Amino acid sequence: MWLVMEVLLPKLPSFKFPSHSHCCSITSRSSSHVRFGFRRISSLSICASAVNEAVAEPTIDSPSLGHSTRPRFPILHQEVNGSKLVYLDNAATSQKPTAVLKALQNYYEAYNSNVHRGIHFLSAKATDEYESARRKIASFINASDSREIVFTKNASEAINLVAYSWGLSNLKADDEIILTVAEHHSAIVPWQIVAQKVGAVLKFVDLNQDEIPDIEKLKEMLSRKTKIVVVHHVSNVLASVLPIRDIAQWAHDVGAKVLVDACQSVPHMMVDVQNLNADFLVASSHKMCGPTGIGFLYGKIDLLSSMPPFLGGGEMISDVYLDHSTYAEPPSRFEAGTPAIGEAIGLGAAIDYLSGIGMQTIHDYEVELGRYLYERLLSVPNIRIYGPAPSEKVQRAALCSFNVENLHPTDLATFLDQQHGVAIRSGHHCAQPLHRYLGVSSSARASLYFYNTKEDVDNFINALTDTVSFFNSFK
Amino acid sequence: MATNSISSSSFRLFTTRIPLSLHNFKTPTLHPTPSKSFLFFKPITFQRLPPTPSSSSSPSPPPSSLQPIEDLPPKLQEIVHLFQSVPEPKAKYEQLLFYGKNLKPLDTRFKTNDNKVQGCVSQVWVRAYLDPNRNVVYEADSDSVLTKGLAALLVQGFSGRPVNEIIRVTPDFVTLLGLQQSLTPSRNNGFLNMLKLMQRKALMLYVEAEKGGGDSGGELGGRGKRIREKLERELEPVELEVEDVSYQHAGHAGVRGGDGETHFNVRVVSREFEGKSLVKRHRLIYGLLQEELDAGLHALSIVAKTPAEVEG
Repeated sequence: MWLVMEVLLPKLPSFKFPSHSHCCSITSRSSSHVRFGFRRISSLSICASAVNEAVAEPTIDSPSLGHSTRPRFPILHQEVNGSKLVYLDNAATSQKPTAVLKALQNYYEAYNSNVHRGIHFLSAKATDEYESARRKIASFINASDSREIVFTKNASEAINLVAYSWGLSNLKADDEIILTVAEHHSAIVPWQIVAQKVGAVLKFVDLNQDEIPDIEKLKEMLSRKTKIVVVHHVSNVLASVLPIRDIAQWAHDVGAKVLVDACQSVPHMMVDVQNLNADFLVASSHKMCGPTGIGFLYGKIDLLSSMPPFLGGGEMISDVYLDHSTYAEPPSRFEAGTPAIGEAIGLGAAIDYLSGIGMQTIHDYEVELGRYLYERLLSVPNIRIYGPAPSEKVQRAALCSFNVENLHPTDLATFLDQQHGVAIRSGHHCAQPLHRYLGVSSSARASLYFYNTKEDVDNFINALTDTVSFFNSFK
Repeated sequence: MATNSISSSSFRLFTTRIPLSLHNFKTPTLHPTPSKSFLFFKPITFQRLPPTPSSSSSPSPPPSSLQPIEDLPPKLQEIVHLFQSVPEPKAKYEQLLFYGKNLKPLDTRFKTNDNKVQGCVSQVWVRAYLDPNRNVVYEADSDSVLTKGLAALLVQGFSGRPVNEIIRVTPDFVTLLGLQQSLTPSRNNGFLNMLKLMQRKALMLYVEAEKGGGDSGGELGGRGKRIREKLERELEPVELEVEDVSYQHAGHAGVRGGDGETHFNVRVVSREFEGKSLVKRHRLIYGLLQEELDAGLHALSIVAKTPAEVEG
């Protein structure tokens, strides 16, 4: 079956279609000709349905970004428990547009094959697409070289990679690792494990009165004993944003490295690793419209080149003898075994999709909608929202963790779900130390993404108000 | 046979803490209490559920494998019928919250790790002990009102019932309540984990009662028995519970070098305490147990009441 494909590639060189009817991601072929220095490729990924997946440029009278993108997300159009689904748990995972679903399906239908090993057509094609996805990521975060992108299962594995590989071979007894009390468990636990092995010390930065990690204190904590600073870019509970560029500067001044947990930033805004000057940066695909099971570690190439392997096996070797082996260069050195090929390609498609909208557009929309969410939440009586208040100087991510007095977040979330179809999260959001610091056992959290609309927020607030009055009537 | 599969599946709910010999149970042929014989299974009749409008999300088990309502403890049957008579989901929640509100509060000292239901989102504790008739008595608490409601249901439904009746209840009765309660085992399923804990505790109480002959959970060692005997003899208590909680303190200074049996919870209800202040009551008990204190007993946590105080 021949598919007619419409190609929109401004400024990119033309090329030949392959002679088969396989649908391919056009941009992948062309991006190999693109120099890296572009912050992002605003190219479009076209697949089987031959529909232009891009979103119209927002004009004054056009529907909001949320309204124009929603149709692309089939999962959002359903009812749960008798009400329309209102999905507000995006900090936990994002939904996937049809472009990504199709890329995954197309991979398995048309050219699934093991990568880097085979010579035959399918294998070459799969390898091409897989490596193209790697280049897309590199370009998306402005890495200087696609070899600086290591595919992992998720951000947690990426952090473990750094901890076990870089950490074990660079940390000694009494070395210091600086983190904040607001870090995600995945950023804390691997370092606890490694620190225990080598006798290093973990130090934690508290929050200041605005409920943001205290940057001044962090600066004071830095010393020549500090070997690495592990910080989030955007907090998944506090919604605060840290000045990574400054932190990296200060860290480098004392000879320390910086690992940035960008899980909540990369999906929502432009992240430029060269500008930030991060040594390591991690993110997960599933939070940025990509499939689960794939994430990546960015590491400066000279750093990666100096690091020993993490997991051993096929692909990461150069020569294997019975009694020893030699290892490949990064990134392969850190990618043992058959990778999640389809998922990586799906992530590439997600990046294409996001780039098609434009990260600045997404960010601007979310700032506005996030602010709306915050303000409407404030109108709920007896509510406490964690993190800084949004202002001219302080920007918040589009999420709010909160507690309503005398109401357990689990009760709140359960009622919201069962009576109103509203999906939020309740618990400690993988940040137990932070909750302990704030003096609460758990909190509720509503988090937005660019496909949420003002109506979603309004529905949520109405449902929340109803929920609160229901439980209050029982006091 | 359907009921056999139910009973064997209910044993799948237990963890491996149960001694292996008990896995011989295929049918609940524990102490047949005089009132019921469990070898006699009635032909299965059960109520068909009216299709609830909102029950599409959780996959309900096919009707033929649902435990017949008649097999549930009587109080639980009542509760199920009550919930079924309330068709509107919101009203069901109100009913649930009402149960929770009336749940007897759980003393803080019972909010131990052993009594905690494992699960991520809210804190739930369940305490269980045997009454003089070897029926299980439950107490529970939670910081989430919905979970407290569910706990109250279970406490009301199960308290005062014999062990064999409790452990053969399968969780799917909760679908009859129409509360959208999921039956998927997961660390987040508070209800399921609560039920499992209650059943596990019931079984453990039974096992220990069989072994030790004591009537409150925990086989007592030499010292525990001596404490019990002394208090029984000297105070003629209406109620007496002696619980060895030394394991909770294993490792701290007072215990090191000892051979266990260092910390006990003691609950005594006796006329001897009438007219005595709290301090005097404690002194009385400590006085009686002076020998033990000299010989390595490290601490007692005492609840000393008069019969009148307990009735109130």
